[in-house]
Formats: sequence, C-alpha cells, structure tokens
Amino acid sequence: MAEDLVLDTAIRDWVLIPLSVVMVLIGILRYFVSKLMRSSQVPDPKIVKEGQVIVRARNLRAGANFISPKSFRARRVYFCNEENGLLHVPKGQAQNAQAQMFSDPNMAMDMMKKNLSMIIPQTLTFAWVNFFFSGFVAAKIPFPLTQRFRSMLQNGIDLSTVDVLPQFVWTEGFI
Amino acid sequence: MVTKTEETQLNRLENQVDNGGGGAWEYLCLVKKLKVRRPDKVLRHGLSILNDPKKRSALGPDVWTLYEQVSIAAMDCQCLDVAKDCIKVLQKQFPESKRVGRLEGILLEAKGLWAEAEKAYSSLLEDNPLDPVLHKRRVAIAKAQGNFPTAIEWLNKYLETFMADHDAWRELAEIYVSLQMYKQAAFCYEELILSQPTVPLYHLAYADVLYTLGGVENILLAKKYYASAIDLTGGKNTKALFGICLCSSAIAQLTKGRNKEDKESPELQSLAAAALEKDYKQRAPAKLLLLTSALKSLKTS
Repeated sequence: MAEDLVLDTAIRDWVLIPLSVVMVLIGILRYFVSKLMRSSQVPDPKIVKEGQVIVRARNLRAGANFISPKSFRARRVYFCNEENGLLHVPKGQAQNAQAQMFSDPNMAMDMMKKNLSMIIPQTLTFAWVNFFFSGFVAAKIPFPLTQRFRSMLQNGIDLSTVDVLPQFVWTEGFI
Repeated sequence: MVTKTEETQLNRLENQVDNGGGGAWEYLCLVKKLKVRRPDKVLRHGLSILNDPKKRSALGPDVWTLYEQVSIAAMDCQCLDVAKDCIKVLQKQFPESKRVGRLEGILLEAKGLWAEAEKAYSSLLEDNPLDPVLHKRRVAIAKAQGNFPTAIEWLNKYLETFMADHDAWRELAEIYVSLQMYKQAAFCYEELILSQPTVPLYHLAYADVLYTLGGVENILLAKKYYASAIDLTGGKNTKALFGICLCSSAIAQLTKGRNKEDKESPELQSLAAAALEKDYKQRAPAKLLLLTSALKSLKTS
C-alpha cells in the first residue's frame, strides 16, 4: 500500500481521543497512588552527619583560596587523616552501591513497591486495550520494517506490509 | 541574608499595613519567609486577623501557622497571656504534636523557668534526636542563664552532627569572642568564610579577631582580610579602612627592630588614609581634624 492512508473520522473520535484521555488519567492516578504508598523515612543520624560532612568538605574545596594555608592544611588533615579522618574510607570497607541497596531492607522494600506500582497498571492497561480496541489500523510508520515485527505489531490483522500500526501499539507508546 | 528587593518590598508592605491599608496577611507571610524579627508588628497585625472570625476562616488551614507565628511574637514582646492562649488553641487542634511541644518549651523559657524548659526539650529530643531547632533552643537556654561553658559544649556537640549550619558557627564565634577565646573564634570565622566567601561581614570580623590576637603573622593576615573586606564592599567600609591603617602601623612598630625588607608596600596605607579623609569630608566634616591628627600619629609611630 503505497498510497497515503487516511484516518477515518470515526476511528479518530471514538478511539484516539478517549484513549489519550484515559492514558493521561492513568498517569495522574499512578502519581497519587505512589505518593500514598511512599513510607515516611525516619532520618538516620549517620546519614544526616554524612550529608553535612560532604557539604562542609565541598565548602572547604570551593573556598580554599580564602583562608590561610595553615588552616586549610589543618582542615584537610581533619578530613583525610589515615586513622580517623571523616572522609577516609579504609580499603576493605568500601561497598559498591548495589550491595548496599540489597542489604538495606528499607530501600529494597521501596524499590520493590515502586516496580510493582509500575508493572501492574501497565499489564492491566495492555489487557484492557487489547480487548476493546483491536482489529483496526491507527498509524503508519515512515520507515520500513522486516517481517519479524509483524507478530509484535500487528495482532489480529493480516497485512502485506508491516509499516502500519494497529491501535494497541499506539497506546504502548503512552505507557 | 535578605536581598535588597526583598527589603524594599518588606518596608513597603510595612508602611502600607501600618497606615491602615490592607495586606496584613502578605506582610506576615513575607516576615515569616525572610525570618526577620518584627515582634510588635507581627503581634499587632496577627492579632487583628485572628480576632476577626471572618478573616480567620478566610485563611483556611494557614490559620495554624499564623497562631504559631503570633505566639512566638507574643513571647518576644513578653505578652505571655496572649502566647498561652494561642498555644492552647494549637494544643486543642494538634495534641501530641512536636511543633506544639516546642512552643510550650519556648513559653517556659519566656517565663524564666529554665529547669522545666530544659526537661521539656530533653524529653522531646529523646523522640527526635535529629531536630536542629530543639538543639538550638537548649543552647539558647544555657546562654540565657549565662552558663557559657555549657552552651559551648552543647553547640559543639550539635556542630559535630550538623557541621554545615553556618548560623550555628556564627553563634559559636560570637560566644567565643565574648569569652575572649580568640583562637577558637578565628576557627569559627574561617568556617564561615569558607561557606560564604562573599559576605564582607565575616572577613571583617575575622580580621578583627586576628588583629586582637596580635603577632606579626596574624596582623599581616588581618591586613589581607581588611583589604578583602574593602574589595567586597567596593571601598565603602570605614571600619576596614581604619583596620588597614592600624595594621600597617602595628606591623611597622613590630618590625622596627629587625632589618627585614619591606614586603608590604606603603601604598596601601596611604591609599586607605586618603580614602578615609575623603569619606569623612563627605559625611562628617566636623570630625575631619580629629581624623587627620589620628592618622598622622599612626604614621609617625
């Protein structure tokens, strides 16, 4: 089909517009649900102190030219001292961020909750759209695709060309 | 620090509200945002809003922050009954609240019942060990009682955790200066300069402390900081200009015996003296004679 495809007004009125509205509403709903599910974190004293240490060290680096060399050296030793410097991390103890993520139970729970809140609405929306809106053409891709994409993009329609998108793939874009 | 536009806006609103125009609520919001201290005005205009039930309901949920603001202003003006009433209203609305507990502690402080206030804060701190305001109120109690060593100890402990809080560093520096512990005060001022290097006030205070400590190195360093204060204020800071003249003469006196080559050029002192004379001619011509004689004695000594 080399000629231009024209979108039927019926499709446009009854499919595209309601679907766009539904997608936007689902996005808003997801935001509020995630806000409700987020647990309030009790600030950990160690984390607060670490944050403040970093700010102070950053100030030291930024304003190093404004204080006398002796006091700068004294502060640098305070931060980077081998035995008890605040920023000094002994070689064995430095954990990479991933190990820390899994060992901290709170953070693991938070990550799981976030992932779930993403996956479940996606699956539901996909199933719903597939049920209601299937079997007609919605968009045309400007570049040609191989036959392998046919099963992925064109569920339920038999077309000779693969550059036409049926309805539900269009919605996947919104998710 | 309050910027110039905010200052003009605040003054404008203040004039407007004082002369009977509307806008009391915006004025109170601006005061709260900028954290300026205007207890009498806040008390007057806040009470005028709170005592009027129509205006109160117009505020909606913001009325509780207004109660808090007015209660603190009342305690500042020593109108403790007004403060007590406001706190009672807040307690009825928010029982078991951390913020209301804090207000009660401040009320005990205002009444002068230091021991009870300290007990209240300690119990609140057990539940929330990381609340900076509670820590600072404890330090304020110690300072108000005149118990400076305890205040210093608590402030140091607070700064061990919250070491990026420049207001706390400033408070500590002032306490040290009042106790004449100048080396420690110098350290605190260095912290302040590191965090906010463009504020001339800290350079000036640091230079003062260094000059007071004495010794050639310190006075040389003080001269540099006076110069940077002049740089940051565009040459308008009279205290810094005087500081430079004093530093130069002190250095000349201290290094009179040794035969060191003159590292610091004498231009700085003469420039500072000239700038001072010009300033005095403009703003206080009556004192110009005093100034010239003082500068002459500095140069010759």
